[in-house]
Formats: sequence, C-alpha cells, structure tokens
Amino acid sequence: MVAPPAFSCRRAGSESSHSSSDSTTSIGTGYDLSNSIFSPDGRNFQVEYAVKAVENGGTSVGIRCKEGVVLAVEKVVASKLLKPGANKRIATIDRHMGVVYSGMIPDGRHFVERARGEARSWRDQYKTPIPSDQLASRMGGYLQVYTLYQSVRPFGITAIVGGFDSELEAPVDGEVGNGPSVGAGGKAQGKTYGGPKLYMLEPSGLYWGYFGAATGKGRQSAKAELEKLDLAGEGGENMTLEQAVKEAARIIYVAHDDSKDKEFELEMTWISASTGPTKGLHQEVPKALRDEAERLAKAALEGDDEDEAKDKMEE
Amino acid sequence: MDHRPQAWGRPRDDIYGAYDGTYLNHNGPKQATQSPVVTGTSVIGIKFKDGVVIAADNLASYGSLARFTDVKRLRVFLDTSIVGFGGDVSDMQFLDRHLNELAIEEAYETEPLATTAEDGAVSRPGVLNAANLHKYLQRLFYARRNKFDPLWNQVLVAGLDAASRPFLSSIDLRGTAFTSPSLATGFGAMLAQPILRTHAPTEEDAAKLTREQAVNAVKECMKVLYYRDARSLDRYSIAVVTKEGIELKEDEQLEKQSWAFAERIKGYGTQTV
Amino acid sequence: MFRNNYDNDSVTFSPQGRIFQVEYAAEAVKQGSVVVGIASKTHVVLVAIKRNAEELSSYQKKLFAIDEHVGIAIAGLTSDARVLSNFMKMQCLGHRLTYARDMPVRGLVDMLASKAQTNTQHYGKRPYGVGLLVAGVDEAGPHLFEFQPSGLTEEMQAFAIGARSQMARTYLEKNLDVFPDCGREELIRHGLRALKESLVQDKELTVDNTSVAVVGVGKAADGSHKPEQFKVYDGHDVNAWIESVGDDKEAAGAEEGEGMDVDKS
Repeated sequence: MVAPPAFSCRRAGSESSHSSSDSTTSIGTGYDLSNSIFSPDGRNFQVEYAVKAVENGGTSVGIRCKEGVVLAVEKVVASKLLKPGANKRIATIDRHMGVVYSGMIPDGRHFVERARGEARSWRDQYKTPIPSDQLASRMGGYLQVYTLYQSVRPFGITAIVGGFDSELEAPVDGEVGNGPSVGAGGKAQGKTYGGPKLYMLEPSGLYWGYFGAATGKGRQSAKAELEKLDLAGEGGENMTLEQAVKEAARIIYVAHDDSKDKEFELEMTWISASTGPTKGLHQEVPKALRDEAERLAKAALEGDDEDEAKDKMEE
Repeated sequence: MDHRPQAWGRPRDDIYGAYDGTYLNHNGPKQATQSPVVTGTSVIGIKFKDGVVIAADNLASYGSLARFTDVKRLRVFLDTSIVGFGGDVSDMQFLDRHLNELAIEEAYETEPLATTAEDGAVSRPGVLNAANLHKYLQRLFYARRNKFDPLWNQVLVAGLDAASRPFLSSIDLRGTAFTSPSLATGFGAMLAQPILRTHAPTEEDAAKLTREQAVNAVKECMKVLYYRDARSLDRYSIAVVTKEGIELKEDEQLEKQSWAFAERIKGYGTQTV
Repeated sequence: MFRNNYDNDSVTFSPQGRIFQVEYAAEAVKQGSVVVGIASKTHVVLVAIKRNAEELSSYQKKLFAIDEHVGIAIAGLTSDARVLSNFMKMQCLGHRLTYARDMPVRGLVDMLASKAQTNTQHYGKRPYGVGLLVAGVDEAGPHLFEFQPSGLTEEMQAFAIGARSQMARTYLEKNLDVFPDCGREELIRHGLRALKESLVQDKELTVDNTSVAVVGVGKAADGSHKPEQFKVYDGHDVNAWIESVGDDKEAAGAEEGEGMDVDKS
C-alpha cells in the first residue's frame, strides 16, 4: 500500500474530533457554510463534508496486479423494484480505461463524462489513447477547481481509475500506411512501456497511484484486506488477473458483511494487457468468472463465520 | 547590402527584388480546401445474398505521382461496417479518427458493459449498423459542404441494415447519398460500375449472387481499373461483410494480368501511328 | 431555536454530506399526483391520476409522448417537466435525424441526468422540482427509468412516484414476479390496481382522472425493430380498463366522478 498522504491524515484527525463532540458546537463557527472558505485553522470544511457523502456510498475497490487491473463495486439494492443488473456503476473512459466511484452517483456520472471528454480531447491532440497518469492528472485538476469557488460545490465522490496503457507500439489514430519499418522513434532500448495503472481521486482533487485502493462505506475493512495481499511486493508480482478478480469479489463481500441486512449486487470489470483475456480493453468480467468469484467469496465468509463460531465454542 | 540581423538568410532585395507579401493579405473571400491534394482513386462494392464485398487499391497519389503504396483505404467501424474512402487522404484520416471516436462513444453504452444474457454470451443490441452510419456520414458531409469547407471524399459504406440485410451506399463531398446493388467511386464509376451492373442489375439479382461470384466480380473490376486508370495500383484491399462479421484483407495482389490488349491501343502518348 | 444553515442552496454540503436543497426538491415530487410505470418483456405501461385545480378547470395532463418510442409520466412541478420534456424531444429528434433510428432510451435518460446534475452543483441554479418515469422501447427491448431531481436515474422493473406512491410501490413489489410475462392488457390492469392503492379513502378511478399510456416492442414487415408507438389514452378510451379492475376491491363509499381533489396535500 502507498503510505497515506499527509493531507488525508489530518482530515482523518478532524473526522474523529467531529464524532467525539456535539456536532452543532464543533461546526457552528460559520466557516463551513460555503465552499472555498478556510477556517482559522486552515481547513476547508465543505470539502470534508463532501468526503462524508463518499463515506455513505457503496464500497468500491480497485486491484492492480502484474497482468492488469480489476475494478469492483458493491451496489446496494435500495429497492426491490430496481431492474437487476441493469444499472451499471463502472464506466468506460476510453477503450483501455475504466472508473468506479463511491458517493453521490449523479456526481459520479458528471465525473465520468468529463473524463471521457478529456480522453477524447487527448486523442484529438495526440492521436493516441490517453495514458492513465495523464487522465488522473487532468481529472485531479478538474476536481480541485470545484473546491476553489463559492459558486460551486466539491464532488461528492471518490473515484478509482484503472487503466492498462498499451505495452505495444500501436499505430497512431488515423494512420493509413504501414509506418517506418524500424518502428517509431524516441524509445529507449530494452525499456518496457505501458502497463497496468490504478489511481484514486478524492473530492479535494488529491490523487495517488495505488496497488490496491478502496473507498466508500466499507473502505476500512476493504483496505485491511488489500494490505494483507501485499500487492506492492510479492503479492502484486505473483497474483494472476483471475486471482485478483476473486480477491476483489471477496473483499467486496467482506466489506459488506458489516451491514448484513441490505442486499447488494456485485459489479466487476477488468483490463488486461493485449496478450491477456481482454486484449487491452476495459470490459465487464465474464459472468462465469464472476459467478465463480462470488461463490468463492461466499464460501470464504462462511468459513470465517464457522471459525469464529468454533472459537466461541472453545471459549 | 542589408546587414541587419533580420535580413540574414533572406533573399537579397537588390538581386531578387522586394519580398512580395501580398499572399498574406486577406482581402478576398475566405478560402477553405479548393482541391484534394494526396488522393485515393476508386472504391467499388457489390451486394450478394449474405452480405457485401468492397475493395479499393492501396495507392495514395500526389497529383500523378504514385506517392504512397501501402495506404489502407478500407476502414472498419465497430466490427460491423466498412467505410471505403476515395478522394483526399488527409480528409480520410480525419474521418477515420472521427469515426474512431464515435465507435468509442458507442462502446460506452454497449460494448464492455453489454447486456449479458443468462448463458454468459454478450449481445450488443442497438449498436450502430451500416445504415445508421450512412445517415451519420451523410449529415456530416452535408454540414461541411454548407460551411463551404467540404471533406473532399466520396465514400462507400458496406455492412448490414437494421433487418440484417446487406447494405451498400455512397456519400460524396456534397452530402449526396444513395444506395444501390453495386456502387463505385471515382474512375470506378465509369469503368467498374457497368461491369458490376452486368452481375447485379437489380436488388433481386444481387440477392441471388453467391459470395464467390461477388468476390470474383470485384476482383475482375479491380483488374480493369488497374489496366485503364493511371492513378491505380495492383495491390489492393478487399473486405467481405456478413452477419458473421468482417473479413478484411489489406495486401492483395492482382492476379492473372494480361497486358496483351495494350498492343492494340492506338493514339496515345509517344506512339507514332 | 435550531435553524438549519445548510439548506439555503444546492452548493452547500451539510456536515453529514447531504445537500438539503436537493432533498427538498425531491419533496416537490411527492406533491404531485401519483404515477405508476411497469415494464414487461414486451411492453411498458404508464398510468396516472390527473388532478384539476377547480371544478370547472380541465385536468392537468400527466403522460406525454416524447418520440414514437418514448414517453414520460410526471410528478411535481409541471413547468419544470415541460422543460425536460422539450429537451428530450429535441434529443430524440436530433438522434433520428443524424442516425435514422430510435434514440436508445438509456442514452436519452443519461443526458437528462447530467442536465439535472449540473443544477445541483452550481450556485444560482436550483434542482428540477419534478420526478419522471420514462418508458421506452429500443433495440435492446422495453425500458422503464425513474428520474429524480438529484439527477439519479435508475432502470426499474416497475415503479411509482408522487403523492402516496408508497402504497402503489408496495403493490408492485408484491406482484413483481408476474410482470415480466404479462400481456399488454394485463400489464395495464396491474398498473391501475397499483394506482388504486394510492388513492385516498373515498376516491375512485374515473374516465376523467385516469390516464394510461403504452409502448411496446414490435417488428416492421422486413423484420427490423419497429416499436408499437407510445400512445396515451384518456377519457372514454380508458373506461373499459377501469371497469375491468372495478370490482377487485370493495370500493369504499364510491362517489361518482369528481376525482379532482385526490390526495391534495
């Protein structure tokens, strides 16, 4: 795991001060009534409140392994009348890139539309797919702008962006010939390009690259599970994309476990290298694999419950 | 002699006369593209009972110079349709990128997040078909000509329509659009179209053609075009679009050429008698 | 006295991360009379209770055709609904002009959603005070969407919005399993029964206060997708349907006609 940034450490501190004291006294100082206003101790309360909106949303998870990226989300079924499987929450940004978000869904759709616009304008200018780091940078900037003015509010979402930047020497968009037989220039010998990328962007505009990222209601337990996978070390090196899918499903199930009463749907997408199962494209995980991953996730949870029950019996 | 730095490297006024900057003056009407520059020649296509065959050679000419010989003028759209481009190659590249973006947008709703059937098969209902693409290109070309900034192409669209029947259409730089059992652009309209019409004069006749017959007719036309069109090439691309998908070959060679007829042609070039 | 300081505009989060202005806009939806939508594998129906402002006035229309293959039911501020309906008509027409096909319903609804979302993020704008049920058929089949002032749009199997709509939703939840295989007429009857659940005690469905609309999948002569056009039925056209569900419930003190001040709140 990437170390948490200083900014979010401080925010975490402020959260606890909120919950410990009466909410009207700690926030009623008037510095939290409009966006872009600093409080005397240097906080932008409206951004912190936007984070609260995220923390009420269904859990989202992203896992990066050597072979690709998996995105997963827990879709809480608010009503039986919803059409099962119809309301997708993971969106495609460009062919090789997807995004999942927790928080206010309409804000998420706004984010997605902007991200698609950025990907498109990149293609217009550079005739090539947008690299994941560039997309993250542009969207981080876009989110940040919404913290700067009193006339707007920050986004009530935290987004996880996953992409696989092509490792191949792909033709530029609109290329009609074979190109030079030696390939394009400007590349160092023996160096590899592209690869799986994962970023998480917060309402403040802050973003980091991750090996495993989680946000939303169940982020605490999801993060704990992600850390166990050791994705930054051996875990990320050895894990196959299929294993990552299964882990992502399990983690969503673990993260959900705290609020057992509500039903949820699991939605998952993945992106592999051009040699992998999705051929470099962002696609929904095939139903067969998702079913298998869900079966294993449920089995793992039941296993845990049995262990706990056994422990209690022994006590 | 002018020794000021801003005169360095410039033609000397005393020898060449003062620089004529009049071309920089914008007094006249604004001029957009007045003619194509690097061009592709004919595209030809014919329907048969299960689909459409379409072909174009791999040449991009710079005037009469055979400038680029590996240019792919058949472009795939969303694995459902083929657009064959005649005319300006840079406008073709612009359109190719534009259609690429359109395809990406289409895929947002349909491709990776497609409605997944119970058996796990991914279906893509509502994906833009060739007839939809035809209408889109017609609007695009017509909008551009109304801006007096036309895209200098004539294109053929090959694929299937909403009822999965073979679809073949033509759109030109003015937005003129129509369909026919067989079509050809550029020189092909004069040289290949009559031959194709002998194979399929009507829709009913086209619906009786087999795939092999259609492919052979197109290959025959490509050969005639190479014989008689000075801006053509013997390497070409050919695609067959059916319900099963697209089969595109981009480096075909004209077979069984015979230039014997050339001996009998009189009255051209440096011939004396 | 406690005064909520976080509810004056739609660009202020409350400390809990809520936006009260948007939530209040959602309340406006509940002021409108109830509308119900149900989708089967072949059809989508919308049914609605119409109100009139006074005895001599006409009844406010609740169901509107957007294009041949899409229509909406509205609950809340009618004038906001007109803006959205106009927008949707333009989108459908534009799509038909450029692509020569019915606009996919999901795409249409997504555009509506982002239009509404913008109003919740910028000062000086207000959220739309109307909820919609969008019924449509495209090449992927029939669809029913719920649209909320927040910009949230979700595809439903069946849904009801407006005053006292919870009772209708309860009916829909109970009968959810039968809807997919319902025929056209059966689906309309389920809609009307759900509607009846939401009526106040002494009110009834009448030809004056009831609207029905249907859109369905269909095929053209050549086998291509050509939906059964979205059509709204009012007045005597709905009489037979009302009568067909007339006796499934002991009507409580049925007063003839005058469905006008149904659930005024």
